Amino acid sequence: MQINRRKLISASAVMAAVALAASVIPAQAAGEVGVTKTSIKFGMTSPKTGAAAPGYEKIPGAVKAYFDYVNDNGGINGRKLSLVHRDDQYVPATAVQNAIKLINTDKVFALLGTLGTASTKAIVGPAGPATVYKVPTLYVNTGFSGFADKKKYPNTITLLPSYVMEAKVIAKYIKDKYPNKKIGIVYQDDDFGKDALTGFKTAGLKFDVSVPYASLSQGVATVPPTWIQKLKTGGAEVVVMFGVSSATTALLGTAYALSYKPQWILASIGGDATTIASSKKIPVSFMAGAKGLSFAPSPNDSKDEYIAKFMEINAKYNPGVAFDNNIVAGMTTAFLTAQAVKAAGTNLTRKSIVAAIEKSGSTFANPALAPLGYSTSSHVGATGYWVGTYDATGGLDPDDNKYTVYTTDSGSAPVVVSTYKRPAMPEKGLPK
Amino acid sequence: MNSKNIKTRLLSLLSISGLVAGVVVGVPSSAQAADPQCATANFVTSCAGTTSDSALYTMVAPANFNGTVLIWSHGLRPNIDIPAGIPKFGGYTVNKAAEFAPGLSDGDLTTLNALIAKGYGVAGSGFSRQGINVTEAVAANVELIAAFKKQFPTTKKVVAWGGSLGTQITQTLTELHPELVDAAVLGCPATAPGAAMIKYFGDFMWAFKTLFDPSIKGFGYSEGAAGRAEAYLDMQKFFVALSKVSAGTVSGAWPDTSSAAGKALEAAGVPSRSAMTLIALIAGVPLRSEHVDGNASPVGLETAFELGYMPAIAATENGATVGLASILLMQDGETQAGGIVFDNKATDYAALVEEDRDIYSAALGGNTPADAILGVLAASPRVTGSATAMAKVSKLLPITGKINVPTVLLTAESDQFTVAGTAQFLIDSYKVQYAAVKTAAMNASKKSRVYTAPVSKLLPLWEKTAENYTVFSGSSPDLTKPAGRGTGHCLFTSKQWLVAADLAIAAANKGSFGQSGTVATTARKVGLSSDSKFRVPVMRGLQG
Repeated sequence: MQINRRKLISASAVMAAVALAASVIPAQAAGEVGVTKTSIKFGMTSPKTGAAAPGYEKIPGAVKAYFDYVNDNGGINGRKLSLVHRDDQYVPATAVQNAIKLINTDKVFALLGTLGTASTKAIVGPAGPATVYKVPTLYVNTGFSGFADKKKYPNTITLLPSYVMEAKVIAKYIKDKYPNKKIGIVYQDDDFGKDALTGFKTAGLKFDVSVPYASLSQGVATVPPTWIQKLKTGGAEVVVMFGVSSATTALLGTAYALSYKPQWILASIGGDATTIASSKKIPVSFMAGAKGLSFAPSPNDSKDEYIAKFMEINAKYNPGVAFDNNIVAGMTTAFLTAQAVKAAGTNLTRKSIVAAIEKSGSTFANPALAPLGYSTSSHVGATGYWVGTYDATGGLDPDDNKYTVYTTDSGSAPVVVSTYKRPAMPEKGLPK
Repeated sequence: MNSKNIKTRLLSLLSISGLVAGVVVGVPSSAQAADPQCATANFVTSCAGTTSDSALYTMVAPANFNGTVLIWSHGLRPNIDIPAGIPKFGGYTVNKAAEFAPGLSDGDLTTLNALIAKGYGVAGSGFSRQGINVTEAVAANVELIAAFKKQFPTTKKVVAWGGSLGTQITQTLTELHPELVDAAVLGCPATAPGAAMIKYFGDFMWAFKTLFDPSIKGFGYSEGAAGRAEAYLDMQKFFVALSKVSAGTVSGAWPDTSSAAGKALEAAGVPSRSAMTLIALIAGVPLRSEHVDGNASPVGLETAFELGYMPAIAATENGATVGLASILLMQDGETQAGGIVFDNKATDYAALVEEDRDIYSAALGGNTPADAILGVLAASPRVTGSATAMAKVSKLLPITGKINVPTVLLTAESDQFTVAGTAQFLIDSYKVQYAAVKTAAMNASKKSRVYTAPVSKLLPLWEKTAENYTVFSGSSPDLTKPAGRGTGHCLFTSKQWLVAADLAIAAANKGSFGQSGTVATTARKVGLSSDSKFRVPVMRGLQG
C-alpha cells in the first residue's frame, strides 16, 4: 500500500472535520468494545455452582440488581449497564475459558469481580486473557496482595483489603487483647495463607501451633480430628482460622464435637455467617463469641445509610434473596463501577476507566469504613478492618457498639486506628 | 512425530489407493540415478529419485500443473529401531521413505489429492538421515527443488511446508535459501532455537527421573549400540514409572522406583500427582491434553476433581509423549554432537513456576508440598552439559526466527510435543523484525516522500483448545475418545492443512495473505483463528 503525503494531509483535514463534528455529539461511543451510545456491557466469572458456590453465588445477582436500579434511574451518561455472568465453579481453567468467552464472544467492555486468587491470577496473569486482550478487570474479589502491583497487573483493580493487611490487623488485636495467651492458627496452604503468614510475620506475631491445610479445601466436607488434637495438644487458647468458609464450617463443627472451645478469630473470607448457615453443616450459633473482621458495615446494620439503601435495592431488584455480606460485596462492586463509568466520561474506553479509578477512585462513595487506596501509582482498594464479635444468629457486631477501624498497608506500615471519614451516600444511591 | 504408531502408518501408506496411489506405486522404488524415474497414469506424473546423499524423494504433478509446487518436510522419525512393546513406537524400524504431503503417514490421501486436483505439484523427501536431521533435510530439499524445476520446467512458485520437526527444516530452508522459496507453511511448529527445544524435553525428563526413577539414565548415553540399548531400557523404565504415577493419581502413591527423596516426600504426605503436576509446570508441558479439558469432573466429584486431579492426569497423558521424545532426542543429539547437550546447572526451577504454581495450587496440594518438591529438585544433582556438544546441537537445530518469505503458522494451543510457545517465539521475533522494516520504510519515505507500508509476512493461525471435551469412563477420562480440538500433536484436519496451503500460495502469488476479514472467515470455517491478539507463553527456555 502506498500513501502519498499530499493524500495524508487531505485525509488529516477530513479527519479533523469529522472530529470536530463528533465533539458536539453527546455520549458518542469511541468504538470501544462493549460500549454503545446506550449501553455498556460488563462480564463476570465466579462460582454459581459447585463446592465453593454457597454465598458467593449471590454476588452476580447483587451486581445486576444495582445495575437495574441505576438503569431505571437513567443509566450513566445515557448508557444502561448490563452484566453477563458465567459460572466457573471456582476452577481456574474454567474461569479462563469463561473470561475468553466474555471477551471474545460476549464482547464485554470490562471484567468485574473475578473471584478467588487462583482464578483471578489465571485471568490477569502474563498469559491470561485479560492481559492478552488488554481488558480491565475491576474490583477483583480476592485479597491477594499481589494484585495491587500496578506494574505487574496494570489493568487489575482490587477492592478488598489484602490478606496481609487483615493479618496485621488480627495480629495487633491479639497483642492488645490476648497478651500472654497461647496462639494457634489454621490456614490455607496457598497464596491466600501465604499472604496471611506474611502479615503476621510483619506484625511480629508468632504462633505456638500451626495447622496448614491443602487448598483443595473448597471441597472439604470434614476436618480431621488431628487438626483439633494438634491445637489442643499445643495448648492453643486463641485460634485464628484463616481459611475459606467450607473449611471454617468444618473446623467449628469438629471442634464442637471434640469439646474444644478456644477463642476463635475468623478471618473475613471464611467467617461469612450466611455462607456457613447455607451449608447446613453446623448451626450458626457455633460462631457465637468468635471474633470476626469486616471492612464494610455489618449487613445487619440497617441504620447505616449504605446498608439501608442496598437493602432497599435488594428488596426490589433481587427479591427473595436474603441480604448478607455477599449482597453488600456485589452491590459495592456495582456501585463503584457505576462511579468509575461516570468519572471516565462520555468517551468511555478501557484505558479511560482505569485512568478514572486511578485519578478519583479513592473518593468514590462506598460502604467501606476504611479508606480506598487508589492513585496513579496504586491499585489498592480498601485498606483496613474493624473487629467484632459474632452473636448467636451469626451477626457480626462491632465491639463496644462502634466501628473501630484499623488501617495499614501490605508492607511494613504500622496498624493504626483510622480517622477516615467515609463519603456520604449520594442522593438516591446514584453516582454524582 | 505423531502419536499414532509409525509402523502402522507406514503400512497404511503402502496400501493406499486413489488418484495418486496407483501412480506412485507404479514408480520404480529403487531409483539411484541422478535423474528421477517417472511414470504417468491418469494424467498425473509421479517421479521417484534420490539426492546426492541418497535421500529418497517423490515428485508428483498433474497434467494441468499450474506452476506452483509444495515441498513437504516430514516430522521426526526416530533414527534408531524401537523394540516391540514400547508404547507409541514399539516395532518401528528406521525408515527413509519419501513423504510428500501431510496425512500420508496416516494413510490419508485427502490433502494430496485435493492439491493435485487443483493443479498443484507436490514433492517431498524421506531424507538420508532420521532423528535430528535439519542439515541433511535442508540439503535434500535444495536438491529436490532443483530436481522438480528440471523435471517440470513450468514451475514458477515454490511453497515449502512441513510438520513438527519438518517446520524446523522448512524454516531453516527459508532462512538459508530465501531465493528458492516463495512462501511457507509451518504446521505444529518446532520453531524455537535448538537450546530451548532441548531444555523443554530435558527439564521434564530430569525432574521425572529425579523424583520417580533415578535409574533412568536420561542423559549421557554411551556411543553406538550400547547407547541405543540404554535408550531402550530408559523407554521401558519411563513408561513403567509413568504408569505407576497414573495408577497413583487419586491415592497419591508414588512408584516403587521413586528416588529416596521421592519416597521421603511420599512419607511426608506429598501425593505423586502433586509432583507430576509440578514436573509439567517446570518444563511448560500443557495441562490440557487430548482427553483432559481441565473443566470436567465425574459426577459427585465436582470442583475437587478439576482442581486436584485433572492437571496431573493431563500432565501424565502429555508426559508420555514428552518423556519418550526426550529419550530419543537426547540419545540422537548426543550421538551427533559428541556429548551431553542438556545442562541445568543454573536452572532455578522455583523461579520458573513462580506464577503458575498459584494457579495450580490445589493440584500441587498447597505451598508446603510444592516447596518440598522444589526443595528436592534444588538439592538434587544437576546435569552438566558439554559446551562443545551444546554448541553443536544448536547448529543442528539452527533457526534464528527470521521470516524471509510469507509464512503461515499453524498451531494447536495445547500441543504437548512442539508446544505453542515455539510459535509464540516466531511471532514475537517477527514483531521486532517487522518494526525494524517499518521504521526503515518510514525513514525511506522521508527522502522519497512516498510511504509504502510493509506487508506482514507472518500469518499465525491458531487451533484454540476446545472448552469441554473430556468424556468420563467411571471416574477416569476415556482415552479412547477422539482428541479435543486444539490438543495433541499435528492432529490437523486435511481442510486445515489445505486452508494454510491456500493462504501461503496466495501470498506467494500476490504478495499478501489477503484481507484480514477474508482470512479470518476462511480460517474460522475450518476451526482456526487468525486472532492477531492471541498469545501463549513462550517456551520456558526463552522466558526472560
